[in-house]
Amino acid sequence: MSNKNPPLSDKALEVARRIGSLRDFLEFLKENGQCINWSEEVYPEPDIRNVAVAAGRDSMNGPAVIFDNIAGYPGKKMVLGVHGSFTNIALLLGHPKGTTIKELFYDIISRWGADEPLLDFIEPDKAPVNENRLTSNFNLYDLLPLYRINEYDGGFYIGKANVVSRDPRDPDNFGKQNVGIYRIQVQAPGEFTLLSVPAHDMGRHIMAAEQEGVPLKISVMLGNHPAMCMFAATPIGYDESEFAYASQMMGSPMRLTKSGNGMDILADSEMVIEAELMNGVRSFEGPFGEFPGSYSGVRKIPRFKVTAISHRNDPIFENIYIGRGWTEHDTLIGLNTSAPIYAALIKDFPEVVAVNALYQHGLTGIISVKNRFAGFAKSVAMRALGTPHGTMYLKNLIMVDDDVDPFDLNEVMWALSTRTRAEDTIVIPNMPMIPIDPAAEVAGKGHRLIIDATSFMPPDKLGSDSKIVTPPAGPEIDAIAKVIQMLQNGGQS
Amino acid sequence: MSTCPRCQAEENKIRVEHKGLNAQGELVWTIFNCESCAFTWRDSEPATTIDYDKREEFFRVDPEKPYPVIMPPAQYK
Repeated sequence: MSNKNPPLSDKALEVARRIGSLRDFLEFLKENGQCINWSEEVYPEPDIRNVAVAAGRDSMNGPAVIFDNIAGYPGKKMVLGVHGSFTNIALLLGHPKGTTIKELFYDIISRWGADEPLLDFIEPDKAPVNENRLTSNFNLYDLLPLYRINEYDGGFYIGKANVVSRDPRDPDNFGKQNVGIYRIQVQAPGEFTLLSVPAHDMGRHIMAAEQEGVPLKISVMLGNHPAMCMFAATPIGYDESEFAYASQMMGSPMRLTKSGNGMDILADSEMVIEAELMNGVRSFEGPFGEFPGSYSGVRKIPRFKVTAISHRNDPIFENIYIGRGWTEHDTLIGLNTSAPIYAALIKDFPEVVAVNALYQHGLTGIISVKNRFAGFAKSVAMRALGTPHGTMYLKNLIMVDDDVDPFDLNEVMWALSTRTRAEDTIVIPNMPMIPIDPAAEVAGKGHRLIIDATSFMPPDKLGSDSKIVTPPAGPEIDAIAKVIQMLQNGGQS
Repeated sequence: MSTCPRCQAEENKIRVEHKGLNAQGELVWTIFNCESCAFTWRDSEPATTIDYDKREEFFRVDPEKPYPVIMPPAQYK
């Protein structure tokens, strides 16, 4: 598919070549007014949480926040909100401030499906992540400025780690090597729990290791290339490599090296924690304030033991605020949740225009589609429910016409107001559902809702006597809107 | 900090995890872990998090109760 992808813009390639690590990206964000230092002393609780929530209020333009004066952690640095706003993501993809969410969606779609991995392998002794290496006396509480993200969390969480594991039954398969974001609760100075379920690639690896009685080794990458975080959270195929995806999407090589326990890791990450599954052990974990905005309860989950730690000089601990939205979690994964649903639908239904699954990892989705015949949108909705992500997540689906921008909620509400009949809603009872949805009938099971807010067409007679006002629209009007925005900003774009 | 703020386990179940010092080497806070319910806390946190009586009751944990087990190892046997 690679030759179908249009070439990236010069600016996108320039940014991609420049950014090889979290540090590079923070510098770039600073130059663009999208990263600030919070240098007033903060206590781990509740100060970091308070600043994180305040900075996250502006989902379009909020900055990353670097903390460099944390009580009890002299000299340590922590950063939040790196993916906290759409502007930060726009900058990563080579766009200017003021880029709309819809423009970003189409950019990601245009990059989707490229199949040329751009990976450079470098020797471990030349990798910045190996500037320091610990092989005993681990103390995660000392190495990382850990804190309680939400007030009733069961402990201190690492919420933005990219975890690398290999299929213990096929350890040499690069594609089956998985990179994912899983919540990690530090349980002891050198031990942690990691939450995964059988539906995750990582969950499969855990079950395989315990069934076969073989060790499961993992590498936990912290403070990573910003594209890695976006694509580690993207649902792609089991035998597809997240490293390959992330590099293809950026259009510039990512640097990999080998961890001490045999995983491929990013050579420029801030820290890599190598660990091994404690086979058969389950420990109390949680609660944890999760992305639906509610706590997921206490459970007993798999536990890991740290075996080595590598880190750069003066490592920066990157974490995330997650809880009741809008939060960095929503911005980080929103577009990459929307894109694969779109990519799956478009194969069968080229009439699909755009998919907005930004809300709570797609618990609510809005799909814009050009009706081929009456009732067509409902068929497309059914297909969306059968996509890999849709199977568990797409709970509420709103179908709108191709003249409605699904990323503009004013337009979506107009469609709901003027094009919805109550009988154009469908409830499908007792469907699979993510266990942490607080509205699930029982954990893991609930109802789906489809609202068809597309317009009527023959043989439907309804609405045939109404004509829609067609105000001027299109690229010319979009350009004028940008000029108005520029004039409002005192001539600055 | 004699008992666990979440499950009221006795002192002998509470482990000192780490002491945070300032640049002058003075103690700023201490992190504890409860071996009964796995709660981890810092003694500088707000009382609503670390005082058993001020915490919301909903979030209390009784380690004797059955909690869901993720991927129970026994299922393989």
